[in-house]
Amino acid sequence: MRDILKMIIVLSVICGLSGVTLATVRDATMERIQLQELNFVKKPSIVKAVSGYDNDPIVDRREFTTQDGATVLVFPAKRDGRLFAVAIEDVGPGYGGDVSVVVGFDIATDTMTGVGIAPLKETPGVGSRTGDKAFGQQFKGHSLDVDLKSGGGDIDAIAGATVSSTASVTAVKKAVRNYRELKDKIKEAWS
Amino acid sequence: MDTKRLWKEFSKGLWNELPPFRLVLGLCPTLAVTKAASTGLGMGAGVIFVLVLSNLLISLVRKIIPAKVRIACFIVIAASLVVIVELLMQAFDYPLYLELGIFVPLIVVNCIILGRAEAFASKNGPLLSVADGLGMGLGFTMSLTFLGSLRELFGSGTLFGAQLMPAAYKPFGFMVEAPGAFVCLGLLLAGMNYMNNVRRRRQGLAAVDGPSHDCGACGLCGK
Repeated sequence: MRDILKMIIVLSVICGLSGVTLATVRDATMERIQLQELNFVKKPSIVKAVSGYDNDPIVDRREFTTQDGATVLVFPAKRDGRLFAVAIEDVGPGYGGDVSVVVGFDIATDTMTGVGIAPLKETPGVGSRTGDKAFGQQFKGHSLDVDLKSGGGDIDAIAGATVSSTASVTAVKKAVRNYRELKDKIKEAWS
Repeated sequence: MDTKRLWKEFSKGLWNELPPFRLVLGLCPTLAVTKAASTGLGMGAGVIFVLVLSNLLISLVRKIIPAKVRIACFIVIAASLVVIVELLMQAFDYPLYLELGIFVPLIVVNCIILGRAEAFASKNGPLLSVADGLGMGLGFTMSLTFLGSLRELFGSGTLFGAQLMPAAYKPFGFMVEAPGAFVCLGLLLAGMNYMNNVRRRRQGLAAVDGPSHDCGACGLCGK
């Protein structure tokens, strides 16, 4: 009986101490980890979507809330302290998982400055080609009304990768919707 | 504390009981994360951290842990340390974390960690245990970095990311694929055994201690 009690107590104490330590370390590193994640995972897409800024869009990022309660992360692109474009991320359902797309918007002309598509989980050589320059180039300077050719728009899908192409365009459309809704708030926030 | 003993426990991990090559323990990361020298080094650093601290902690609490639940206690301690390594790696070296991926959490089940805890730290004092952990960890790091350097040098023509081979060198892509890891490891083990045999022959010893085979049929040590 005493043996069992000792086992239970020793194990519980060790587990408890380990839990406290881990929680502390997690709290201490959480903010840095988030920043690192944005820097290494999102930054490559942001760079593709907007260019010519002299601030750090990741450090200056801000969260906005849409009417239906969703939070949207907006990355501002500034030149000489003035906001000229923003980048908004969204996802579309792809073949192997979500396709993440960062869309850049020129706030003066309401056009797209470009997109950064990260088809990380799409089939290599097929769906992954949505990440190629040729596909993303089509969005550069495009108006906010965007769709695939099959849907009545003018974006060429990648042959053989209908799902991934649709996912990318869906993500772009979602980002456009958020941009339209939040545009005034965004302008106000960085004016 | 006897410094000679301390040195002995430290240095045994560097050659005589070199973990991946002599004990042939911890092969999973040895094969999987040695595509490049830098990932091998990063993995090794993580293992050193976990191994030294787990040896220290386990040897400190070795007298209060009931024998029946000791393995569970060792695992909890090792797992907590591994999660700490994972968090620190994410916070300070995110690219390395992306590169190592699943193999960081897998340090928990690395045989070396549990092996040293069971075989050494649970029977010896803190100072000796730290020396043992440090030696083993450094040996592991050395091995992984060496294997990674070989594979990176021949597989992509670079070393720690710097171009070393002349531009005309066509990288031997096989080396950075999974089969290349096995071939490389096999050649390294063969090389180390050969060196050992030569050394033992010079000392007039049989190739292995207390051979189980018929000496006349082997001829390895020339007796």
